[in-house]
Amino acid sequence: MNANLRRNWFLQGIASVGDCGLFLVAVLGALPKSLRYWRETCRQVWFVGAMSLVIVMTCGLFIGMVLALQLYYTLSIFGGTAALGTVVALSLFRELGPVVTALLVAGRAGTAVTAEIGLMRATDQLDAMGMMAVDPMAYVASPRFLAGVIAMPLLACVFNAMGIFGGHLVGVTWLGLDNGTFWGNMTSTVSLQRDILDGLYKSMVFGGVVSLIAVFQGYTAPPTSEGVAYSTTRTVVFSSIVILAFDFVMTAFLT
Amino acid sequence: MNAVPANQKAPSDALVQVRGLRTRIGAKVIFDGLDLDVPRGSITAIMGPSGTGKTTLLRHLTGQLRPDAGNVIVDGEDVPKLSRHALFGLRERIGFLFQNSALLTDFSVFENVAFPLRQHARLPEELLRNIVLTKLQAVGLRGAAQLMPAELSGGMARRVALARAIVFDPMLILYDEPFVGLDPIALNQVLRLIRTLNNTLGITSIVVAHELAAIRQVADRVYLIANGTLVAQGAPDELAHQDSPWTRQFFGGEADGPVPFQYPAPDYATELGFAERAR
Repeated sequence: MNANLRRNWFLQGIASVGDCGLFLVAVLGALPKSLRYWRETCRQVWFVGAMSLVIVMTCGLFIGMVLALQLYYTLSIFGGTAALGTVVALSLFRELGPVVTALLVAGRAGTAVTAEIGLMRATDQLDAMGMMAVDPMAYVASPRFLAGVIAMPLLACVFNAMGIFGGHLVGVTWLGLDNGTFWGNMTSTVSLQRDILDGLYKSMVFGGVVSLIAVFQGYTAPPTSEGVAYSTTRTVVFSSIVILAFDFVMTAFLT
Repeated sequence: MNAVPANQKAPSDALVQVRGLRTRIGAKVIFDGLDLDVPRGSITAIMGPSGTGKTTLLRHLTGQLRPDAGNVIVDGEDVPKLSRHALFGLRERIGFLFQNSALLTDFSVFENVAFPLRQHARLPEELLRNIVLTKLQAVGLRGAAQLMPAELSGGMARRVALARAIVFDPMLILYDEPFVGLDPIALNQVLRLIRTLNNTLGITSIVVAHELAAIRQVADRVYLIANGTLVAQGAPDELAHQDSPWTRQFFGGEADGPVPFQYPAPDYATELGFAERAR
């Protein structure tokens, strides 16, 4: 790769981040107007949230189960299996719940949003809305952005609940840990403010980031089948990177 | 929202006036000082070779694109200078028929036609239903109200888009290639609709199209655009017999002429390497 090309890539990357930032400003600017289209926002919350429930619940269950299995093995080395419930819950609330839910939603709903908006662009539907004096930012972009911010923490809660249920299945039902110890240690250690709410803040930010990237990629997708395909891929790749990077930064600030 | 208040607003007889329009997209000059007028109540056809900016002109008229210079005056308002709010106000008085119909694929035919009404007018459901069914009846598709866009043929989709474009009784309708891909029956239906809307509602129409036979049937006036300017204008039959290289090539369908057959390219012999060998 020659220096020019590398510099171009770098500059293009910077320019894209700038465009995305301006797009965020436009989305936020259109939010008050988008409240008129609250039905559309509800429909998107249903699409991003309710339609992602099966995958989020299934993954939450299995992640909780495997977490309990691995931690039971590790804790048994130190004779600390009584702390299993606490460690499973903390791992889920503080880290795995928000992050894995966001990654799942980026893959399931983010790609769908990008493809949908990209095809709307390619088939002139966004221009048609503009011609009917309906602002597509307020009707299409903002409701989807808002839906991500609303649905993500709710999905993370479901994920956490299923994860703890999975941990309970393995720890108590299968490996024979005492039920009272599992719940008692967990409830006495996990803090609503420090653990649960911090995780939900993360989820809201991830929801905003994932839906912003998905909507932005769809909005700016070249109006060709190849263009929409690339944009859909970029939604998953960029969302994953940004989620993990933001997770580190937010964890550093919130801890 | 109909033609009457619009007429009161602008004293001029021309609903659309374009003066000294200059537009450049990337390195390509699209318009280089274009002037044209569209009289109220007329059907005006914009014709020209592919890539001359006919659709771009429609986008200027609706403020989807801003020109580099010049005035685009629609109903007395200079479109490029309008605020977003005023522009949306103007757009409520303009219908736009997209080349690919641009129906909202999530909504039924009925909801597509009802969409502008639901967004801009708080009407009782029964009145809204009656307006939508009236418009669908006008395009012959009242029976298709519950179908989804994916279930429509190209001609039907075009007619639904037309019903949606006229749902607010606009003063001006812009048709972007309305005849492309239509079978002869559907083409005649669309032609008849354009003429009927013009006659009965007094709607001014601007049609961008290539189909000479269709344009001869429907248009009052034709503007021929090429190389960024207006190269000929007149009634369709007049224009077909005008003795200019542009009209001869365009109306005679000649492969070569002022619009060259070859896309601009370096010298052929040099590119094939013959020039070097000759040395």
